[in-house]
Amino acid sequence: MIARVMAAEWLKIRKKPIWFLAVIGPAGVVGLQAANFGLRYDYLVKQYEDDLWGGLIGNVHYLAVPALLLGLALVASMLASLEHQTNAWKQTLALPVTRFAVFTAKFAILLVVLAVSCTLLAVGTAALGAGLGFGYAFPAGELLTASYLPFVAAMPFMALQIWMSVTLSNQAVPLTVGIAGTILSLYSVRMSDWFPWKWPYLINEWNDPLVSAGAGLAAGFLLYAAGLVHFARRDVK
Amino acid sequence: MWRIFRSELLKLRKSHITLLVFVSPLLASLLALLESVQEEAFPWHQLLATMALLHGLLFLPLLAGVFAAFICRYEHAGGGWKQIFVLPVSRTGVYVVKFGLVMGLLLACQLLFLGGLLGVGMLKGIEAPVPWDMLGRSLLGGWVACAPLAALQLAVSTAWSSFAAPLALNVIFTLPNILVINSEKFGPWYPWGQPVLAMLSGAQDGFGAFLVPPETLLIVIAGGFALFFAGGLLYFRRKAM
Repeated sequence: MIARVMAAEWLKIRKKPIWFLAVIGPAGVVGLQAANFGLRYDYLVKQYEDDLWGGLIGNVHYLAVPALLLGLALVASMLASLEHQTNAWKQTLALPVTRFAVFTAKFAILLVVLAVSCTLLAVGTAALGAGLGFGYAFPAGELLTASYLPFVAAMPFMALQIWMSVTLSNQAVPLTVGIAGTILSLYSVRMSDWFPWKWPYLINEWNDPLVSAGAGLAAGFLLYAAGLVHFARRDVK
Repeated sequence: MWRIFRSELLKLRKSHITLLVFVSPLLASLLALLESVQEEAFPWHQLLATMALLHGLLFLPLLAGVFAAFICRYEHAGGGWKQIFVLPVSRTGVYVVKFGLVMGLLLACQLLFLGGLLGVGMLKGIEAPVPWDMLGRSLLGGWVACAPLAALQLAVSTAWSSFAAPLALNVIFTLPNILVINSEKFGPWYPWGQPVLAMLSGAQDGFGAFLVPPETLLIVIAGGFALFFAGGLLYFRRKAM
């Protein structure tokens, strides 16, 4: 059933600029770093002399995290906007579909869109590095870690934003929470490791990005389950 | 005009928008409180620099977009535009009032920010006299610098019925702030970077675009505002609702 509900969801968002966002996000991040490295090539190349690729990937990652956090809030809001704008929650839920399927389909689409976005980011980063003349021997493991693990570590926020966007008809609230979280995350590097907004940066005291990603995955699942339980029981207008 | 303003205020009542005004000043104050106290020659300048960076770099431009989209929410939901324009009001009037409200909300945000700043200063026991001159210039400058942005966002928000679409545009252009303000050449021209530049010019030892003199910034801001506001208004007057 989930596959069919997802197919219906794709139809609902067909005319929305969701794929545009999924492409412009990574393209913007890579483009900005291209400008950054292009304008201060000599300075940056000297700074990252020992590890050119590492420097580039680190810079891209630093900018990709806020883009990811803001982007997921926007996409989550767009996924729920059709029902809110046309007051169609009753109609959707009157169809022979379970609330579990509706909520899960929206969450799954968010995951797919962001996964595509992260793939584009990895490809774009590799292309940018090659274009800057860093050679073709890019560190694949490092690149994949920096591209995909922030996505896993950001799962609690995806679950949270989907839940808020679906539950609240006033989309200014989830979007403001998303914006505030993004700005918090920019300052989170100094905070302690339990702080969820720090996880997408993959920095922790064990120096192991998998710890951050694992924490994100676990918290994401918990929040998704909590949101689902609430959505399944609530009265819709 | 005054009556349109009153009816717009009525629409805003009981909406949660007043809560959104508090978010940024609150977060900035919290961060400044957590920051360790240092012996500084200009403690107020230092405090303002810390808080204004968080507030102005991303929050202020993004909030301008949220407010603009919010102000148009009632009309987009449930065919409110048609309803409002069968009333004896001019489109120009409605547009100007809506813009005024966005700026009003941003002003409230700036005032709360000032309150937060003074509060943090007191809690930290800063004894130096409050430099009203510098604080006023910074907060007012940041507010004025939001005008072109607010005009642009209002134009997009009236044009698109989706709530998230104008915000997406805003986010796409606000994120580059993180890099753009480092550039002396491009920084001042970038509408999304102007609030933080206006708030911080004179608050700290400058780097990048912070070195740009305030007069230049003001001219760019005025030009951008005239362009976006006139464009948005012209479009709004001709738009089929």
